Amino acid sequence: MNHGVVNIRQTGWLLLIAFCGILWSAGSLAAFEDDEGCLLCHKYPKMGRITEEGAKRSYYVMPHIFGSTVHRNVPCTDCHTYIKQLPHRDVETGVTCDSECHSIKNPATGKNFSHRLIAEEYQRSTHGREKQAEGPDIDKPYCVTCHRNPIYNPDEGQPPKEIVDRCVICHEDNKFVENWYKHTSRRIREVKRTPEEIVALCSSCHGDERLVERHLKVAAAEGRELGKKYRLAVESYNNSFHGKVTRYGFQNTPNCLDCHVDQDNYYLSAHFIRPSRDPLSPVSPGRKVETCKRCHTYANENYAALDPHPTSDREEGPFIYYAEIVYNWVAYIVIAALVGLALFETVGRRRDGVGWRIRNGSSWWRRSRRGRDRES
Amino acid sequence: MNLSAEARDVLETSMRIHRVDDQQRSEIEKVIAAMPDDKVLLYKNVVSNPIGDLPRYSIHTRIQHMMIFVSFLALAFTGLPIAFFDHFWAEPLNSLIGGVDVSRIMHRTLASVMIFGMLYHMVTITLGPLQQIMRGRFELQRTIIPTFKDIRDFKQDMLYFAGKHDQRPEMDKFMYKQKIHYFAAAFGNLVMIISGSSFLFPEFWAAVLPIGIVSNFQEMMRLSHPHEALLALLVIAFWHWYNVHLAPGRFPMQWTFLTGKITREHQIEEHFLEYLRNLVEFPGERAYLLDLLANWKPGEDMAESTSS
Repeated sequence: MNHGVVNIRQTGWLLLIAFCGILWSAGSLAAFEDDEGCLLCHKYPKMGRITEEGAKRSYYVMPHIFGSTVHRNVPCTDCHTYIKQLPHRDVETGVTCDSECHSIKNPATGKNFSHRLIAEEYQRSTHGREKQAEGPDIDKPYCVTCHRNPIYNPDEGQPPKEIVDRCVICHEDNKFVENWYKHTSRRIREVKRTPEEIVALCSSCHGDERLVERHLKVAAAEGRELGKKYRLAVESYNNSFHGKVTRYGFQNTPNCLDCHVDQDNYYLSAHFIRPSRDPLSPVSPGRKVETCKRCHTYANENYAALDPHPTSDREEGPFIYYAEIVYNWVAYIVIAALVGLALFETVGRRRDGVGWRIRNGSSWWRRSRRGRDRES
Repeated sequence: MNLSAEARDVLETSMRIHRVDDQQRSEIEKVIAAMPDDKVLLYKNVVSNPIGDLPRYSIHTRIQHMMIFVSFLALAFTGLPIAFFDHFWAEPLNSLIGGVDVSRIMHRTLASVMIFGMLYHMVTITLGPLQQIMRGRFELQRTIIPTFKDIRDFKQDMLYFAGKHDQRPEMDKFMYKQKIHYFAAAFGNLVMIISGSSFLFPEFWAAVLPIGIVSNFQEMMRLSHPHEALLALLVIAFWHWYNVHLAPGRFPMQWTFLTGKITREHQIEEHFLEYLRNLVEFPGERAYLLDLLANWKPGEDMAESTSS
């Protein structure tokens, strides 16, 4: 009997250990707190559907990956606010970036954290659009066009031990210190995108010929005016000196945002890009000098008259278009004439009896058609 | 040899400038008389030292050529990958140089060398003739300034190469090709300096030009800088290097840019008028030619006659 009791006790311990093991492994899978139980369904890789348009939509959430993103501490329903019960109803609007987080407080104001301020600025900008955009706005960028939620941030590594050791003296909680360090250090290191990244990002839309043509047509149909260089913005920038050296990784030349965005409160202003005809734009006629002066200290009205988007396009830059044609023809004619002269001279000199070798300090050894050869 | 009126004029001027005495004059006239009328026979049969026999370029000219030549090529290699950034060779060449952070510093430094070379040249072409004028030795036709004679020379040379003329023209120290090349290079350098300065000092050019043309000016400079550079590079590669390296009779190279001397056969062939001056200036050259011609009759080897 004792033997049986021991077995029962041992079995109980084993079950307890196994249960703890399961809990531990579940905890390691779910790197974020899933208090709402969303992973009950969204942990399944096959979870998804095919829309009426035939597009495949995956609703699979990988906990260990989501747990590495900047939103890892935000509960799902803070953004998916329309979900009130489980299983939830069909999702119609999706997540917008201006909703308030109920669980994350802004430590400065104590209010619910939100991207609303930036979202409002963005809505007033030339790029502004609704989340569910239709018509001409459909291919304007939304927040996620530019802002990725990277699953790996090299700058979010484990903090150095001496920093944790120091901070934890007052803040007491190692986890808190680590999270705070990651949050702040990444934002300090990644202050700004590189010029190449900014140019590539803007070019992804402004360099898309079909997108640009569509906007031009829509604007023409609506009687709206677009910027003079709208069609050539990317091409002309790439051909400018600024564009060429930026392409080679030089960091001190202006990229798109350096001119088109107010440098006061740059990060907010980057969401408030206005067309150049708008007086609020830093490249509007009234503010161009001020904008040029950011880099070119002695810039004046004359300097601001320079074209920062030079082009040899026939319609937009006819002067340079024809000048380039003349230049090219001059070059072709000069090279052809000189090479022709060289060939003609070679034939003439060969006929005369000169060769491509030297004997006794002279090349005049070949028997020539004209006679009058060097005596051997 | 019966000298043409033009050649006689050059010879007389040179003898007057060098104040030759009667004995020297009779020596010179003797050499001229001994020279065959067919200059082709003369330049084909003289003995030349490949690194040069007769002086042509001063040390100043050679230094200036070296400065411009080295700086120009290095400027092209550092600048072209930026201007023609979308060509397959641009990125590797730019990386080879060390990237745009390095090449932009190199480009500006080399531009300073080129500008200094040009200024140095301006000083020498001003002071040199001034000195000659003061000594009463200045001859306009001996300079690189183009004259109508160059057009005549060009026409006659083309007829010669076409086989329709039996003598090359009697050309001066600088022949038509050198004059074209010199002024093309001078114009090109000026364009490069002005356009380059418009990139480095755009505020200056914007301040000095009327507002109506600043943008077009800057655009023209942006267009001119790489176009002129590429054109110059092609002209140098396909014409200048042909003329000094690849042309039959000049292969594998003329040493003039290093030694400052030209070969005797080249001087007689393409700069006959300058060779006449050499006969006045260098008694040794008269002696050589007199010795060569004394025992030579057409149909005999001049070189052998000299050595025997």
